[in-house]
Amino acid sequence: MNPEAEPSVSTGSPAVDTSQWLASRTFHHSNFWDIKWLVEEKQRQGLTVSLCLPTLNEEATIGQEIVILKAELADRYPLLDEIAVVDSGSTDRTCEIAASFGADVYIASDHLVECGNYRGKGENLWKALYLLRGDIIVYVDSDIKNIHPRFVYGLVGPLIQNPDIQYVKAFYDRPMAYSGGLRPTGGGRVTEILIRPLFSLFYPELTAILQPLSGEYAGRRAILEQIPFPVGYGVETAMLIDIYQRLGLHALAQTDLNRRIHRNQETIALGRMAFGVLRTFVSRLRQDQKIVLQDALPSIMRQFEVADGRYRQIEHVIEEIERQPILEVPAYREKFHK
Amino acid sequence: MNASLLEEGVLESLPETLLPLRERLLANLVMLSQIPAPSGEEAERVRFLLDRFTEAHMSDAAADEAGNAVGRLPGTTGERTILLVSHLDTIVSALEPHEVRVEADRVIAPAVGDNALGAAIVSLVPAVLDHLGIRLQSDLFLVGSTRSLERGNHAGIRFFLDHLPQPVHAGICVEGIQLGRLNFFSIGTARADITCSVRDTSEASRSYGSENALVVLNHIINRILAISTPSRPYTLIRMGKLRAGVAYDVEPDQAELGLEIISHSDEMIERICGQIDDIVAEMSARHTVDAAFDVFFSTKAGGIPFSHPLVKCVLDVMARLGIEPDQGHSPSELSELIARDIPAVTLGMTRGKRGSKHEPDYVLIGPLLTGVAQLVGTILAIDSGVCDES
Repeated sequence: MNPEAEPSVSTGSPAVDTSQWLASRTFHHSNFWDIKWLVEEKQRQGLTVSLCLPTLNEEATIGQEIVILKAELADRYPLLDEIAVVDSGSTDRTCEIAASFGADVYIASDHLVECGNYRGKGENLWKALYLLRGDIIVYVDSDIKNIHPRFVYGLVGPLIQNPDIQYVKAFYDRPMAYSGGLRPTGGGRVTEILIRPLFSLFYPELTAILQPLSGEYAGRRAILEQIPFPVGYGVETAMLIDIYQRLGLHALAQTDLNRRIHRNQETIALGRMAFGVLRTFVSRLRQDQKIVLQDALPSIMRQFEVADGRYRQIEHVIEEIERQPILEVPAYREKFHK
Repeated sequence: MNASLLEEGVLESLPETLLPLRERLLANLVMLSQIPAPSGEEAERVRFLLDRFTEAHMSDAAADEAGNAVGRLPGTTGERTILLVSHLDTIVSALEPHEVRVEADRVIAPAVGDNALGAAIVSLVPAVLDHLGIRLQSDLFLVGSTRSLERGNHAGIRFFLDHLPQPVHAGICVEGIQLGRLNFFSIGTARADITCSVRDTSEASRSYGSENALVVLNHIINRILAISTPSRPYTLIRMGKLRAGVAYDVEPDQAELGLEIISHSDEMIERICGQIDDIVAEMSARHTVDAAFDVFFSTKAGGIPFSHPLVKCVLDVMARLGIEPDQGHSPSELSELIARDIPAVTLGMTRGKRGSKHEPDYVLIGPLLTGVAQLVGTILAIDSGVCDES
């Protein structure tokens, strides 16, 4: 079958052509292999880059992430000006290991105490904006088993290369073609079952982001400080929608980082994740006046388990609290002279 | 500068001086450990080493015809040639997950001590010398060798030594574990597979009733166990691998035994190999199976004497760094150097443990830089000429 002869599938909504964006804003990490050039260009532009590793009990993988990223991208090529772990209160040796290999370690709850404390990855990312000093912030999940410098330079590269790009998202595996012709691209289960259908319905241009929930991304402080951060599951979705709404698709880019090996989550856990993401999504739809809801959304996710032949309901409270744009926090404005 | 590093107090503080390179060493170690490299499939590790050599301005770094990663740091005089070699292959299947875990005090990964660490250190040597401001008089060859293990039979290092146009004056084989390991003689080794295949039923001789391949192999094993081995010269037959069968209710058509014979006497190895060959031939005929004895790996016994200046130098360096020497024989690349009359030693770089079914391999981070300091001290000693035989 000739793919070119395939008619485009009608969506019933105005045509969205993302081909130009895909061509100009989709990269492969190998486009940025010349780290020496990136460092020179970074210095020429007077930029600083900070790496934030959000953690919660990641002793199995945090050590190798810091060792490799520090050795390759701070000691050998000074692309990173700062490497920091922002921790949610690990009870294992995560913080000890991170500190032993030279990362700055922050316990999220010890900082911005006047703003209160919530537990969640988004909370750490938000506080990282206050704690870290870089003009560019790179966020890399700390459960990656096959860490490689590409996870950082592949994301920072587009920002250094092109001043119009504000935010770069990771995806994994070559998406567009392979030796056998065309093939569908795939995100994770939550992406394909929840996010892509929702984007198709309400933000069709964002469907071009191949893995909107990937945990690795980099952005300029100038935009990250302006957007709210959900503290929980919805932080990645919210970031994408909020930056897109403010700056448009051309401020976004994505980079293929080839392959990522990490813990696989059980479907039941993904269900809770989907609930949190959905709440965030709906809040964005309401803000954008794309839908009207009569009542507030409930925050209880119900799942079931069976024991001794009896079914039991388990209620999970998933609130998806949002942090205000950090630019609105006085301590932040004071620290960064805003 | 070079000589001053060997002065009293300076060598002893070398591990501390090398501290700024610790993360780079660990990064090399982690990245190499993540790359599967069974014998014959080392290309990605070779590329890693060559990238490191090229970044260190070793402009002629390249893979040779045997696939070895070879880099050369030209010396100021080139009067001597020193070889640093680390094998790149491992016994771990590429299908196994090559996951690495870095803890505060150790690195855990498949084959991390044998020999990702050796390769990581060889890849870092240019940076170490640069960091210490060392410019050697001797040419220094850095080699990541291929096909050392199993059926590889040291093919990579053999090729390199047989084709290097300049003579090598001294060699150091770099192994990950154990710190203190000092090998300067090689025990003779023969490694072999015995395969046993039941003949196809269509063949006439099957009518005599070929036996279960596993049972026949068991007969062979019993006969091998009956071979007497002398304690002097030290000789041992070690059976290490056995493979046969697919299910409880299916008699296997194929069985395979892997064994090695080690001895301080090459003649003894030859004699035992002859005996096993006879046993296999006899059992093959008696039980109507196709059995074969295939010696695919052999090294000669030999070495340099304990009184050799190279050994004395290494012991001195170890003593000054507080390393307890553990002297013994080695079947490693060392045997290839010794077979070519090149004075050589095998050195271990840190403490650690080979993995087992229940526990993965690990190497300790703490002693690592002491291991590297030991290597630097040995290179400098060789370079200064004090290891030359009078």
